[in-house]
Amino acid sequence: MEQKLTLMTLGAVALTGLLASMAMPAERRKNGIAFALGWCVPGLGHLFLGKWRKALFFFIILGATYLSGLWITGFRTVGFDDNPFYFVGQYGSGTAMFLSSMLGKEKSFPRPDLPLGLYDPALLYVCVAGLLNLVVALSCFDAKPKESK
Amino acid sequence: MRSVWEMLLYLPIILVILSVLETCRHDDPKKILRKTAINFGALTAVLLLGSVVVFFIHKYF
Repeated sequence: MEQKLTLMTLGAVALTGLLASMAMPAERRKNGIAFALGWCVPGLGHLFLGKWRKALFFFIILGATYLSGLWITGFRTVGFDDNPFYFVGQYGSGTAMFLSSMLGKEKSFPRPDLPLGLYDPALLYVCVAGLLNLVVALSCFDAKPKESK
Repeated sequence: MRSVWEMLLYLPIILVILSVLETCRHDDPKKILRKTAINFGALTAVLLLGSVVVFFIHKYF
């Protein structure tokens, strides 16, 4: 199931980037590539379009959200069988998807040194970081590439 | 106790979501900060008012 989802996600991202590049006017064809790059790593799409401040902001804020969620869960992500909604949320980012397939092999459980109430919000942090990255990557379609002087 | 932790973690995640969404829409940092603050205030006010309404409904009805 997990492998099928990964392949489907990769296919959907590549197809969206390709079709968008073909459908957009010539001066905005970069946006399709920026979407695919932005999906892979938070902020990379905006960096590709020359918006390095936005890129840095997205990279830091989404990275911090993802890592803080992971830290609370003891660097184990939730599997599809445990919680399909939180699991699929991580597919909004290529990095998160890759990490979830690596870190999700062992069953996730609450850290004993932290309050139990933190566990569920931490999983939400990981999921939200992934979903927000999808929004950030999609916003590359709307962004105008920085004109070189 | 669980709900207290969830409330504490509510603040940063909502700020992250709102600031990322506003940054996608605008380029001006001041506008992003202002809109994020306004939306955060409005959202928090709605949640607090909703909580007060639910509290009184449970208490008196």
